[in-house]
Amino acid sequence: MGHLRLVPRPAPSITRDDACLGAFQQELDYVHRSFRRLGTAPSEVEDLAQDLFVALRRSWEAYDPRRPLRPYLFAFAFRIAAAHQRKRNREVALGLGEVDDPGPGPEETLQGKQARSLVLVALNRIPLPRRAVLVMHELDDVPVAEVSSMLSIPLFTAYSRLRKARRELQAAIRRLRGEEGDE
Amino acid sequence: MIWWSAKLPPDVLLLLECERLIGAVPAAARARAHSRAHASLAAGAAILPIVSRIPVAAQWAVAGLACVATVAVGSAAYELGAHARPIAAPVAARPLSDFATSHCGAGAGSIVDLSAVSAPVGATPSGGAAVRGEMGLLQRARAAVAREEFARAMRLLAEHARRFRAGRLAEEREALRVRALVGLGRRDDARRAAAEFEANFPRSPLLLAVRRMPDSAP
Repeated sequence: MGHLRLVPRPAPSITRDDACLGAFQQELDYVHRSFRRLGTAPSEVEDLAQDLFVALRRSWEAYDPRRPLRPYLFAFAFRIAAAHQRKRNREVALGLGEVDDPGPGPEETLQGKQARSLVLVALNRIPLPRRAVLVMHELDDVPVAEVSSMLSIPLFTAYSRLRKARRELQAAIRRLRGEEGDE
Repeated sequence: MIWWSAKLPPDVLLLLECERLIGAVPAAARARAHSRAHASLAAGAAILPIVSRIPVAAQWAVAGLACVATVAVGSAAYELGAHARPIAAPVAARPLSDFATSHCGAGAGSIVDLSAVSAPVGATPSGGAAVRGEMGLLQRARAAVAREEFARAMRLLAEHARRFRAGRLAEEREALRVRALVGLGRRDDARRAAAEFEANFPRSPLLLAVRRMPDSAP
């Protein structure tokens, strides 16, 4: 039986480590932005992204590489952001001037930055479970069926949350524009 | 109607257009993320069960190694992040017919009015300037699609393909191109473009939507 020990065994954990780390690095921009869309403060995004990586690695074996990675990552981001929000027990209320985002880059105009800030502030006025559905579907183009699967909610619930979140987003943007106009 | 959100009004859709593009994480933050992730792997934190049975001395040893790995990997990652940016898979450039500017969020009141972003024609873009140039151009293409100005969108996308052939946003560009072709009624071309998209970006989060586009309403 000793000869069996001479046969080198593959090291799947190393391969999985590399694959998981590579995927995380490749989608780091998306992960950071998703946390911002979910209401995480800029100063906390890096810590939560690290939490996401740890969670991702722990369940990497369950990931089917034939499926899109981003919805999978977003589901982690949503759960981590929700847990963080419960822990902090507060709503993140951002003003337009408080949004500290690099955005696409310095060449983005003030108006473009204001638009992105406005969207973030409006999103933050939507309760997190509905906001997650809205962001996945409207910004990430994930079909509602996939959203319900990734977030482990019934399809009807996903549609219901989406419908309500759309109304809330419109109302929030209208209110924000009205507030801006009054200033 | 807009294919990704038929039930939101145009002004809100235009605002969302500006948020859809994702900026790059700064190189320093990227390096920190890499080093922290690598350190957690080195320490086994990512795969170990919650209750560890490793002796305390061994845990301290691993922690020490992790600190060394963090510094080493962080330095290397910073250098890599500062000098090399990942690029998307190469995609064939599209013919350029014209270039016209539009404004992201032009219908959204005074909130959005992205100006044109210039990039040197024929130059090899690199680093942040290339990403910024790409994003500016693609934002205008997205806005044109949102306004159902598909011919203009095609011109902008062709310009993007010419300037940033293998750019970071090639994936989004090719998805928009499929949508614009559908809008123009060129469904056969849209199907071919969708097949090319699937071949080039088999793990794209946009893939499901792109597959449905050729058979969707214009």
